Amino acid sequence: MVTFLNMMERAVTGKPCSERDYDLKIFSAKVVELVKEYDITFDPSLSVPSDDSLADDVFKAGIDLYREVGTYCKDTERIIKFTESEIKAGLKNAPSRAIFGEELDAKEMVPRKPEDRTPPWCFIGAAGAPVSSEEILLSLMQSYGAIPLADSITTPALTSVGGVRIRPRSPLEIYGAIRNAVLAREALRRAGRPGLSIMNALATAESAPSLIAALHPQYGLRPSDGYLLAAMAELKTDFDRLNKACALLSLGGRIVGESGPVYGGYCGGPEGTAITSVAYHLMGILVYQATCHLVFPIHLKYRCNTTPELLWVISAYGQAISRNTHLLSMNLNYTAAGPCTEMCLYEIAARAISAVASGLSIEAVGVAKAAHEDYLTPIEPRFAAEVAHATAGMKRENADEIVKHLVSLYIDKIPDPPLGMKYQECFDVKTGNPSSKCLEIYSKVKKELEDLGLPIESS
Amino acid sequence: MSKEELFKKLSEAVIASDSQAVVDAAKQVIEKGIDPVEAIEKGLSKGAIAVGEKFDKMEIFLTGLMMAADAMKAGMDILLPHISKEKIVRKGTVVSGTVKGDIHDIGKNILVALFQANGFDVYDLGTDVSTSKFIEEAEKVNADIITLSALMSSTIGGQKDVIDYLKETGKRKNFIVMVGGGPTTREWVEEIGADGWAETATEAIKLASELIEKKK
Repeated sequence: MVTFLNMMERAVTGKPCSERDYDLKIFSAKVVELVKEYDITFDPSLSVPSDDSLADDVFKAGIDLYREVGTYCKDTERIIKFTESEIKAGLKNAPSRAIFGEELDAKEMVPRKPEDRTPPWCFIGAAGAPVSSEEILLSLMQSYGAIPLADSITTPALTSVGGVRIRPRSPLEIYGAIRNAVLAREALRRAGRPGLSIMNALATAESAPSLIAALHPQYGLRPSDGYLLAAMAELKTDFDRLNKACALLSLGGRIVGESGPVYGGYCGGPEGTAITSVAYHLMGILVYQATCHLVFPIHLKYRCNTTPELLWVISAYGQAISRNTHLLSMNLNYTAAGPCTEMCLYEIAARAISAVASGLSIEAVGVAKAAHEDYLTPIEPRFAAEVAHATAGMKRENADEIVKHLVSLYIDKIPDPPLGMKYQECFDVKTGNPSSKCLEIYSKVKKELEDLGLPIESS
Repeated sequence: MSKEELFKKLSEAVIASDSQAVVDAAKQVIEKGIDPVEAIEKGLSKGAIAVGEKFDKMEIFLTGLMMAADAMKAGMDILLPHISKEKIVRKGTVVSGTVKGDIHDIGKNILVALFQANGFDVYDLGTDVSTSKFIEEAEKVNADIITLSALMSSTIGGQKDVIDYLKETGKRKNFIVMVGGGPTTREWVEEIGADGWAETATEAIKLASELIEKKK
């Protein structure tokens, strides 16, 4: 078994290499080679493929990729590599179950398989999208806590504290990270679910000092919460991230290995992005000692993952991982459209169906690319969880039919999607109640899904 | 090989990201006494435009784009020394980087490659670049444009820092300042007083050309 210390030794003694050479000559070149070797081909007519051999080839290519290219450490400009037997042992020893949260709100995350009836884990909330005030953060968090299907919560990110814009690696960031943690826990107490796991309370903590400061028990976070720890595109890390991993592991914190392989970037097309998504799971196990995984392939140009190519990538890597491992794996959704629009809900449904039918659990949801302050509401994650639960047990062929129909309803609008409305424009911030327009859109899309053969129970 | 065939070869070699083929063709241009300005316009630039279009349609990806930009530069390195200074027409000079505290570079790398492929002189400062470094470099190379990338909602404040610094030191009018990255929006651009913003790198190149033209 490779320990964190073994890995760190490799980070400081591994093969030296410039970052540019790693990106272009090592990583990118190997991806191209493996796509060809395994004859992996994106089929534009399918959003949710059902070909098990495709899934297995994507898995094998992902293993080969990681064995050959490892992880690049930006601070030492060296490559951290692992042998085939270390990778296999890592997969064998990785957690197959994990309990997040405490007391009445404790939940066990379990692995899934394609077409599995096991309900997906629903990591619900804002996906780190920015909000303008503490009042809005509290209101949103309280509403997320009230979503019955929420297994864990993803918070928004504060962009300012006390009216001062947060700056990276500054006391403002530490202040923001602590504030985020305290407010998130308080909001869940108000929602009556104080033990619910907050998996990204430290969305505001980009640097290790901020995360470490906010981990002090007096701010309300617990080892059972779950802590997102991001890789850098592609398959890279740095000392700041490794410092976070070291601190979290020393406290027994459960790490969620997070990564966003870029379709159109160094991964190339859909095939390379799927292979790289598999490799990120291996990096999560071996570099970050992650308990579970959150991978969100993302479109380089449109910054969402609801285009046909990305839905295929999610399905292909999801089936690769769920068929061949017992890893706990979630996929995060970014939509192009904003809140209180039909398109946003179509996108959410298309991604949730693709991921869940392919054996993944979900995080929902980065609405309007998670780029616009206050453009998020509790309706979207609630809807995502409802669709995800309704999908459990669905055949991939059926999922594909529904997803293709949904995609046809929004694909033309992806380049110029509707931004929708701000939280404070379509919800009552004090009560957390939605406007009638919001509810009308939600009910309409739910009815459309029912007509397509996906009956959704209200939660 | 005729002049037209050589231009075609230059263009095709850029599209194929084949630096060696570009260098070989560029050397032949010089050996045959062909006008290097014409070779740039009808060969290298034509190829670069095609590469930009392919990238925009996602027919090629980032690695192909960066290698095509390298090929374009390799050709320019051969041809430029044979062109008199007054004949050298560059679209503009750009200083580009990711702002202080932000170490993400993919968006910035795309932008740099597209600027290079479109005939701009680009000075890539990398990531986590301090405010003063942007301005020092822009002054040193007499830049037309400073581009500021940021991927995190916590780091976009670095874009405002550069603009504030330029304003405070009376240098704001010396440079066009463009900003971009995941959390940036039109509203943010207005708030900080930047000159331009684009959602994609391709749109940014078009906008940069327009802003330079407007400034003349």
